[in-house]
Amino acid sequence: MAALGTRRLLRPGRRWFSGTVPGAPSPPASPLYPPVVASITAKSKAAKARRLQRFNQRVHEAATVEEKLRLYGKLQRPKYMVYPQTFALNADRWYRSFTKTVLVPGMPPRAAAAKPPVATAGATSETGRAPEPRAEAPGPAEVAGNAEAPGTAKTPEPSAGAAPCPDIGELRSLACDALLQESFYQNKKRPFLYRDQDHTPGPFLTQLVSTLAASLSGHNPLLASSSLDLNPEVNYYWHHGEEVVVHGHRKGRVDPVRFQIDDNPHLQIRVPKQLPEVVPLESDLGDVPVIDHKPSKLPLFKKQYENKVFIGTKVADPCCYGHTQVHLLPDRLKRERFIKERLEDQIEVVYRSNGIASLFAWTAAQAMYQGFWNEADVNRPFVSQAVVTDGKYFAFFCYQLNTLALNAETIKNNPRKNICWGTDSKPLYDVVEDGNVKGFNDEVLLQLVHFLLNRPKEL
Amino acid sequence: VFPGVRQAQWLTKTKLVEGLPPAVQGIMDNPALGLQELEERAKHMVSHARLWDTAEAAPRRERYCPKLFENLIHICRLMSGKYPSLSKRMLARNCRIAATWERESILLQVRGLSGILMNSMSLIAPVASKEEILATKEHVLETFYPIAPTIDLQEVNVYKELNDTGHMCPLGFRDGYPYSHPHTLFFLESANVRTDRFRPEQLRAKMLMFAFGNALAKAKALHGNDPKVLEQPVVVQSIGTDGQLFQFMVFQLNTTDLVSSDGVKNLVWIDSDQNLYERAQCVPEVKKGVVTKPAGISGFQPDTFKKFLALYLHGTV
Repeated sequence: MAALGTRRLLRPGRRWFSGTVPGAPSPPASPLYPPVVASITAKSKAAKARRLQRFNQRVHEAATVEEKLRLYGKLQRPKYMVYPQTFALNADRWYRSFTKTVLVPGMPPRAAAAKPPVATAGATSETGRAPEPRAEAPGPAEVAGNAEAPGTAKTPEPSAGAAPCPDIGELRSLACDALLQESFYQNKKRPFLYRDQDHTPGPFLTQLVSTLAASLSGHNPLLASSSLDLNPEVNYYWHHGEEVVVHGHRKGRVDPVRFQIDDNPHLQIRVPKQLPEVVPLESDLGDVPVIDHKPSKLPLFKKQYENKVFIGTKVADPCCYGHTQVHLLPDRLKRERFIKERLEDQIEVVYRSNGIASLFAWTAAQAMYQGFWNEADVNRPFVSQAVVTDGKYFAFFCYQLNTLALNAETIKNNPRKNICWGTDSKPLYDVVEDGNVKGFNDEVLLQLVHFLLNRPKEL
Repeated sequence: VFPGVRQAQWLTKTKLVEGLPPAVQGIMDNPALGLQELEERAKHMVSHARLWDTAEAAPRRERYCPKLFENLIHICRLMSGKYPSLSKRMLARNCRIAATWERESILLQVRGLSGILMNSMSLIAPVASKEEILATKEHVLETFYPIAPTIDLQEVNVYKELNDTGHMCPLGFRDGYPYSHPHTLFFLESANVRTDRFRPEQLRAKMLMFAFGNALAKAKALHGNDPKVLEQPVVVQSIGTDGQLFQFMVFQLNTTDLVSSDGVKNLVWIDSDQNLYERAQCVPEVKKGVVTKPAGISGFQPDTFKKFLALYLHGTV
């Protein structure tokens, strides 16, 4: 057995010489015997622990992030495929238990404070958000924000550098134009069977978010250096909990439970600087549900394939932090189907499970791109936002990743929990008729604008 | 086989001018636009589309060509932070265009999916001056005697001339659409197999035909169906690419009187075969232990991106 380095493991209870040598033995100049450590190749628990420790050491010492990711996902075994967009009942509770996430209804405090008009502009200035959208004086006539008294002497926060406030009326007309173009004005063929989402809501969302991001880039310099991606791929692989292998040549061994998320958001905005934290790293805002059943009861199924960790681009991209994602729910998860099967309470579950799973995968992959993993936990929280929609109903989610340490050994002494803030789904409009959008809901648009205006404090 | 540019010129009664018009050149040379900083971003975008976009080793053309286009358009759109009137534009994908005209007693029609169209609320001002337009009267269109000019065109029995505004609208949009002026057409040759893609000459001809079709439909919508010389020429731009090579085109429709071959002609400025970068190496090429070609984008030409941006900003700036 080769001696490894100069580690001297003094095992108590193995001092055979203590009886013969009087007094405390003076430490020899060099070790007389190689350190007594567990074997590497034996079939024993100590040997397994030593192999695991050598593997962890190897990953710690990896030179580049790509090498770290390669070693992290080197061993392929059957793993549960977690689908963010799922029809499983109460999937969001299961997903919260897999990812150690606390769900807090409503939006985080800084967004809630920024929403009421004008009055709390001073309160939000320390959180670095843009001032609330107030109507500009020479704005178009239909601006509803005129009632919000822009004439008060509130100065924009100094960090904003006297940027004018975004005009909500203009943004509303942009949104309506996008909606009308896709649903009414453009001559399109009939939608493909069961592909209604690709026909109208998909292009509408692309148009909406891209034009809003472009027009808000004057107010948010982070957006000016952002990268917009259509139909990217987001993957993450992790271990959580333990189980006993049921059948096969490895029967009876204790294995970690492996999960993989493969997600395809509709749209992704990535930025070169990280979003600020919402609450401190160690905050505890609720409880994580504990589920006693095996994950396969959800139902979740196992498959063995490549263990990918991917945020949408490779590690070399400078825009490596996430800002906002947009998810479009497919046809098979539309509301009418749930109502027909008398599962109305599951409609919100669909939105929540999509938000939690997708955002966990994205933020955790971002953290891995920065070199953190479950043995080297994050030292700063990773925040990202998501909008889950089916074209008409929008639900907003904000996720803060506080910990990556979810596997069996590291979760024991880990008090941190990941936090997800989420709203219920609200309609953006009632109906589109004859070139008019009826019942446009400004709140939803405002929330989307707030999401896009989010940026670090320095900017 | 699609007709070449020369044949397309005859079919659309157009005179060709090499290079981009001075108005666009003026936008490119304008220092107030801050085009230098954008070069760095453009290089990142090219690297993203060609190198970093997918978890596999190298993305295929079907993926990187549209992705590069989206990234470049994203940079251009972000300029609307500085120029708010740029937000009065809307991209329409998969829009269908149809236009019919008669050329020396041959009825011609352009139909089909014309790629991606960017519409704007306002017209582009005419690029050529009145004198230049009148000077085209002297220009004689190249004929291909003895080859008929309609060689290689598909002969089809047309039962419905699609210019009437009935339930079929030639512009691809219904009446009352606020972004009613076609601004720029984008053509992406993104087929993986080289034989499925248009060659640069054919791509330029296709761009010319579709730009002409859009301009003609717009002119007929604005000024009526009678063939005449337009006082307000209609300008439509067009950009075609296969992910590396770019073709830029500005088309100005001066007349809808296309039956005869004399009189005022239409004008087109073409800037062809502009490379955006020389090569994009995903994995470094190593021969006998020495790295011959390092990974990354080499030979980036910022001028091509400047032309792209200038064509985007044209009409608003």
